[in-house]
Amino acid sequence: MWGQVKEALAQATAHFLMRFASLLPGLVALILAILVSFVVAWILVALVQRVLTGMHFDEHLVRWGFPAPAESAHPNPVALLVARAIGLLVILAGFLIGLAAFDSEWMSLFARRTLEYIPNLLGALVILLVGSVSARFLARSVLIGAVNMNLQYARLLSVGVKCLVIVLAVAMALEDLRIARSIVELAFGILFGGIVLTLALAVGLGSKDLVSKSLDRDAKKVSRETIEDPLRHL
Amino acid sequence: MTTDAIPEQAQGKTEPQVDAVDMVVGILAELDAKDLAGICDSLRTLPDSLRIAVLHEDPAAKSGETLQKTEPTKGASVFFMPSLLAKSDPGSEPVSNFSARYQSVLAAGEKLQAQACYVIASKLMPASPGWLGQFTQPLLEHNFDLVVPHYARHKFDGLLNSSILSPLTRCLYGKRINNPIGPDIGVSQRLFQKVRSRAKNAGSGPGAHPAMLVAPTALTENMQVCEVNVGARVYPPPDWANISSVLSQILSPIFIDMERNAAFWQRVRGSVSIPCSGDSVDIGDDTNATVDIQQMVEKFQLANRDLREIWGIVLPPATMFELGKLARLPPDRFAMPDELWVRIVFDFALAHRLRTISLDHLLGSMTPLYLAWLASYAREVQAASAWAADRRLEKLALAYEAGKPYLVSRWRWPDRFNP
Repeated sequence: MWGQVKEALAQATAHFLMRFASLLPGLVALILAILVSFVVAWILVALVQRVLTGMHFDEHLVRWGFPAPAESAHPNPVALLVARAIGLLVILAGFLIGLAAFDSEWMSLFARRTLEYIPNLLGALVILLVGSVSARFLARSVLIGAVNMNLQYARLLSVGVKCLVIVLAVAMALEDLRIARSIVELAFGILFGGIVLTLALAVGLGSKDLVSKSLDRDAKKVSRETIEDPLRHL
Repeated sequence: MTTDAIPEQAQGKTEPQVDAVDMVVGILAELDAKDLAGICDSLRTLPDSLRIAVLHEDPAAKSGETLQKTEPTKGASVFFMPSLLAKSDPGSEPVSNFSARYQSVLAAGEKLQAQACYVIASKLMPASPGWLGQFTQPLLEHNFDLVVPHYARHKFDGLLNSSILSPLTRCLYGKRINNPIGPDIGVSQRLFQKVRSRAKNAGSGPGAHPAMLVAPTALTENMQVCEVNVGARVYPPPDWANISSVLSQILSPIFIDMERNAAFWQRVRGSVSIPCSGDSVDIGDDTNATVDIQQMVEKFQLANRDLREIWGIVLPPATMFELGKLARLPPDRFAMPDELWVRIVFDFALAHRLRTISLDHLLGSMTPLYLAWLASYAREVQAASAWAADRRLEKLALAYEAGKPYLVSRWRWPDRFNP
């Protein structure tokens, strides 16, 4: 009996050691991949940060309509954030490459699937970034144009345009990520239509007093213009 | 009034083949046959030896008018060359359209090796036929390089010029030019060659607008500039719907020129008058003119509510505070201090240079501020005489000069000097 127990223990230990030994090359490869990715990430972070700082990326963002970042100890917090995000992506890629080195079917499948998904993730990020920049730019254009046309609901129009573009960008990004496609399509239709309807109602019904006041003012203006406006600009 | 001055080319006949002329006169104003004949008569009173090419869209083809022709009289030889003038494009923006036609007049001057180029872009009141003779004299006889008009003006005429263009040119370049961008203008060969070269270097952007380039080029090249007193311009009625676009198209080239000439104007202090010929024309006061101040104030108040976020990127906190105070004033007490307006113009010029925000947004957001200045000025001079209004504008010009150290400091140290 005791002999059988000893034999079973020896077999289990041998089996464990054999399995562990078979995992060792993969483990070493994983550690190596992570180390290399750390080094590459560190170099990339420094490089990207230097390039973005050189091209005044933070200031450009403010010009494109993004709110200025809150007070920070770092002079270029957004450039730092972008550089670190890229570094993190590199480390993640290194980790996945390391995982793929294990001679295990599910591990390599997981790594391959994740790696295959990265282009979609990057695509979605680009869509969100472009959408966000466009939304802010268009919102600002609409705001200035509407104020110069003396529209009392200028800000509402501007916010509406911003929401429309952002909703469109988010829907496109989710589509690119292949997340709940049918729900996204439905939700996008409802949201987009909802925003347009809200704007139409707000401008058409909610501001009917303003509109009638504005029309009244325009009518007065027309009658004034027939008298003659003495101002000459150029 | 004779119509013999209308040469036969104007009646649809072929253009003369000419290689060189002494003077090119580009007529961009919409003139009827009588006014055109008046201009030709004036040109024919110039010395016999002069050969003058007149660039004007064929009036016969345009209006269907038939011009009678009599025997030519003695005087300078005047002939029409309509093909050298860029065609008016009603579809394009008025300022761009004007710029293209202006450019074509200077190009014709260069092509025909003219000693001087004139652009006639206005109809004047009272229509004095002799004004063109007076206008051509400084270039032909006294070797000036640039002659600009000093229009007799009502107190509400040419306000974009009075509020920004003229005082800014005066403060930057130290010469008191009342109408730096004309639009009627005379330039010597030396000057139009320089202007053409600068316009070519500026490419096709707004910085290539020749009308905006003429005065700064003459002043930075230390050329001789003079003014001629003329009658009042007949202005087109204001296009309130497009005021923002006009402001943008005029100010953008001015601000670009500020960038180009920064090394020059930072050394200039104070200002001096320039020679002025001719008697000033009295056109009387328009004390009955009434302006709708309330509407302009309301537009400014709306902008102060909605555009503060954008103004805050361009203007320093002290200016934002002043604007907030101004927005709370009722129309009957609405008064924008000159110092505030001057700083706003300087800060927008600086933001244009730094490209702080998109240039369209920047200049678009300046429109309500211009309207605020307009409302303040109109309220102040509504009941005043033309003379008092001129004094008021002189005070504004002095405020520009007094504010120049602020501009220089902001320009040199945009990050460090932020009051």
